[in-house]
This record gives sequence, structure tokens and C-alpha cells, in this order.
Amino acid sequence: MKIRTMEYFIKEALSSLKRNGLMSFASVTTVALSLLILGMFLVMVLNLNNMASTLESQVQISVYLQDGLTDHEMREVGTRITKIPGVVQVNFVGKEEAMNRFKERLGEQQGLLNALGEANPLPNAFEVKVDKTERVKAAAQAMMQFKGVENAKFGQEVVEQLFALTKMVRIFGLVIIVFLALAALFIISNTIRITVFARRKEIGIMKYVGATNWFIRWPFLLEGMMLGFGGALVAVLFLNETYGILIHQVYETLAFLPLIPQYPFITNISVVLLVTGTVIGALGSTISLRRYMRV
Amino acid sequence: MIHLDGVSKIYGNGCVALSDITLDIPKGDFVFVVGPSGAGKSTFIKLIFREELPTKGKLIVNGRNVGELEPSEIPYLRRNLGIVFQDYRLLPNKTVYENVAFAMQVIESSRRDIQKRVSHVLDLVGLRHKAKNFPGELSGGEQQRIAIARAIVNNPVVVIADEPTGNLDPETSWDIMRIFERINRDGTTIVMATHDKSVVDAMKKRVIAIEKSRIARDQVKGVYGYED
Ligand SMILES: Nc1ncnc2c1ncn2[C@@H]1O[C@H](COP(=O)(O)OP(=O)(O)OP(=O)(O)O)[C@@H](O)[C@H]1O
Ligand SMILES: [Mg+2]
Repeated sequence: MKIRTMEYFIKEALSSLKRNGLMSFASVTTVALSLLILGMFLVMVLNLNNMASTLESQVQISVYLQDGLTDHEMREVGTRITKIPGVVQVNFVGKEEAMNRFKERLGEQQGLLNALGEANPLPNAFEVKVDKTERVKAAAQAMMQFKGVENAKFGQEVVEQLFALTKMVRIFGLVIIVFLALAALFIISNTIRITVFARRKEIGIMKYVGATNWFIRWPFLLEGMMLGFGGALVAVLFLNETYGILIHQVYETLAFLPLIPQYPFITNISVVLLVTGTVIGALGSTISLRRYMRV
Repeated sequence: MIHLDGVSKIYGNGCVALSDITLDIPKGDFVFVVGPSGAGKSTFIKLIFREELPTKGKLIVNGRNVGELEPSEIPYLRRNLGIVFQDYRLLPNKTVYENVAFAMQVIESSRRDIQKRVSHVLDLVGLRHKAKNFPGELSGGEQQRIAIARAIVNNPVVVIADEPTGNLDPETSWDIMRIFERINRDGTTIVMATHDKSVVDAMKKRVIAIEKSRIARDQVKGVYGYED
């Protein structure tokens, strides 16, 4: 294709966009909304997945001890824990330390603890790490039998729940995304239909003087792709901005939540959205060209 | 140049527009197609540039079997044809120059060729001084001359015209005819459907008369032959 021809296509596409200002705006907005929601779902699903696997890799067992044990009894429990197969690390976390950690986590909301006064309801505990995730459950059950142990908890349930949640969000998101993609497709094809209609005379003359079908199609295809890309761009800018704010907020208040860092995460999602938008645009105009131009 | 062998055209609604037409139009011919309204003249023109497909028979235009052309080959057939309509079909938002240049742009001619050819054909139809005007600022006759300039700008081997003077007064019609005659003299085949009795009678070209979808008459140096 000649550069001059490409120039011509782009000029034609841009002038159509301008002429159908209102429809163009509606198309870009619809695409932007659809892709924004797609983007949000991607962010959510990927983050949930990430959280689940982070937690899975850090699974440790918290062994809470009964109140009123002597130091000796506690040490006894520690020794027995070390002998369980697969246990690689055992740390003692006393009541005071547990309280300090809790305060740290609460951050600015420490005031909540004032109601407790001097009392410390947190138990003494061991933090136990196991070499393999599969061994966690058996180890925890064994520890639960030890004298002086109140309870042994591990994160497996949370991890499983997170994975289940991810799956649900994924299915729900897929339905919404398909629906929105169809809406975007519909409105773009409608916009192109209007353009084709506005240009039917020109198209007719182009056919009479021997323009190839592809030559006739390109400006419309470009127009659709520009609409799709434009909408995606709006979505991408908005998503980048909001994710930045989200990360900042989470870092300040819920620092323990392992969010995926903004870059290159959002950059990758942006690429996905821009490509999707452009493809939707191209598809939308193809539908209209098929139906209304017979070329 | 144009060759028909037993060509029939029956429209989807069952209307028989042409039946069993066999004729030959050699290169350089100037042919008037005449006949009563509804006889099938426009249909004949439309078959030549593959706007319509023949229902039966073989139609060869410039060496191509039009009936068996792939859709992707149609543009290349039309690049060798110049087509002129009764209603001019100019683009109102393009200038005269742009209207003519458009026909070369869409087949990707070079900028230099476009400038050269467009000036040349505007000269030929005597309207170079109107190059910057819009079609709306031109008379009907002038608009038709621009349409002819556009039809010949790509050097077609055949120019086909469906009642090109149908909307014009006799004086203006003659201007148009002189242009067609000039184009024909340069070697381009002309096929023109018309109701213009005085023009046909005066020009003494080949006349093919179609009546009720059949060829009723095919005369060299013929006359119009109907009382309009
Ligand atoms: N697209 C179409 N579908 C169905 N019938 C058609 C179509 N076009 C033309 N016809 C019919 O075919 C016949 C020939 O029409 P055509 O337009 O070729 O006549 P014509 O000789 O050009 O007439 P006129 O001198 O009035 O222009 C007419 O009876 C017409 O009604
Ligand atoms: Mg007719």
C-alpha cells in the first residue's frame, strides 16, 4: 500500500469521526465503559489469585497455648513440635509480642485497643513452618493433641476460600464482559453504518471507477479501530489512575494486603485492553460493511 | 471489444429485460442504443459494467467473460470502462478538480500522473477554468462535462453512457455530443443509450434498436426511427 493511499484512508476516517461527532462520542464512551469494567475484573481476579498463592506459599501453623502454663511446660510443647516430621522452624511468640504486632497492624486505628485497658487477651503461641504444604494439615492435627495446646490453626481454609472467590468472580465477570463487548460491538457497527450511509454516493462512484473492495473498506475499518482504540485509551488512563490511588490507600491502611505493584502490572493490562478495543472496533465495522455495503 | 452471444437478462421478479441478444461491437465503434421506454437499454448498459449479471449467454467485454468474473475482478474490468449517467453523479462537497482526481486516487495513481491527466481532461471538456468550483456552482451541461472528464481520466477503452443528455436542452446536448465524438476520434469505443432523436439522426453512427427486450434493428449510419 502506498503512503499516499494510507494518508488518504486516515484522512477519510478522521473526517468521518468528526462528521458523526455524537455517535463517535457515544461509541468511545461505550467502549471505554466496557473495557474499564473488563480491566477492573482483570485487576480483581489477578490480585485475588496473587493473594491466594502468596498466602499458600507462606502457610504456617499458629499453635495457641492454654493460659497459665509454666515456662517449662511451654518449652516442653515446643520440643514436641520440633519432633513432628516436616517441621523446619518453630518460633515462640509471647503474649506481649503478639500484642505489639497486632498494634502495628492496626496502625492509626490503635485507639480501638484502649477499651481493653491493661488486659491482654492474646494467648502465647508458637509459629511453626513446615517444609511442604501438603504436610501442614497432618502436622496441625498432631499438635492439637499435645497437652497444653489450645488450638492449632493454619491458613489453608483462607487460601481455599480465596481460590473459590476468584473462580466466582471470574465466571461472573466473564458474563458481564461478554455482554458489554456485545454492546460495544453493536454501537460501533451502528456508527459505521451511519458513516456508510452518509458516504453511499461516494462508495457508488468508487465502485464505478474501479476501486477495489479493500480500498473502499479501509477508511471504515480504520474509523472503527480508532473508535475502539480511543475508548480503550480512556479506560486505560482511568484504570491506571484509580489503581495508583487504590495501592496508595491500601498501603496506608491495610498494609498486610499483598496487592500486585502498579507497574508493570497495569501496563500489561493496558496492552490487553488496547488490543481488545481495537479488535472490537475492527469487528464492529466489518459487521456493518458486510451488511450495508456489499463489498 | 464488446461481444454478446445469446445474452438474456431476466430480473429476480421475472421481468424479461433482454432476450437472446447476439451482437458485436468492435474497437473504435460509436454505437447508439435506442428504443422505447422499458425496452431494456439501461439493462444492456448495466450488463456491460457488471452492475447486473446476464442470466443466460456469454458476454465478453475487453477480453473478459463478464458473466464469470470473480467479484474481486470487477474493479479491474471497470478500470477499462468510463461510465456516464444521466444524473452526473458528482460529489457535491468536492471541487471539480477533486471530483475528477478522485477517479484516479482510488486506483492509486501517482500524484504527478493525477495532476497531468486531470488538467488534460478538463481542457478536453473545456472546463479547466472551473477546476476550483463546486458542482453546485455549475450548469447541468457543465456538470455532465465534468462527469465525462472523470469517466475518461483513466484512459478507458470503452465509454458507456446511459442517456447522458437526458436532462439537458438541445443546444447543451450538442456540446456533450461533440465531446463524445472527439473522444471516439481518439480511438475510444462509445456505447450510448439515448432518446435524443435529432442527435442520433444527425450524427449518422451505428444504431442498435431494442424493442421488447430484443434487437429490432442494427444499422450502420442509422437513424433514430421513432417519433418522440
Ligand atoms: N432492478 C430491476 N428489477 C426488476 N426489473 C427491472 C429492474 N430494472 C429494470 N427492470 C425492468 O426491466 C425492463 C427494462 O428496463 P430498462 O431500465 O433496461 O429499460 P430502458 O430501455 O432503459 O427504459 P428507459 O428508456 O425508460 O430508460 C423494464 O420492464 C423494467 O421494469
Ligand atoms: Mg433506461
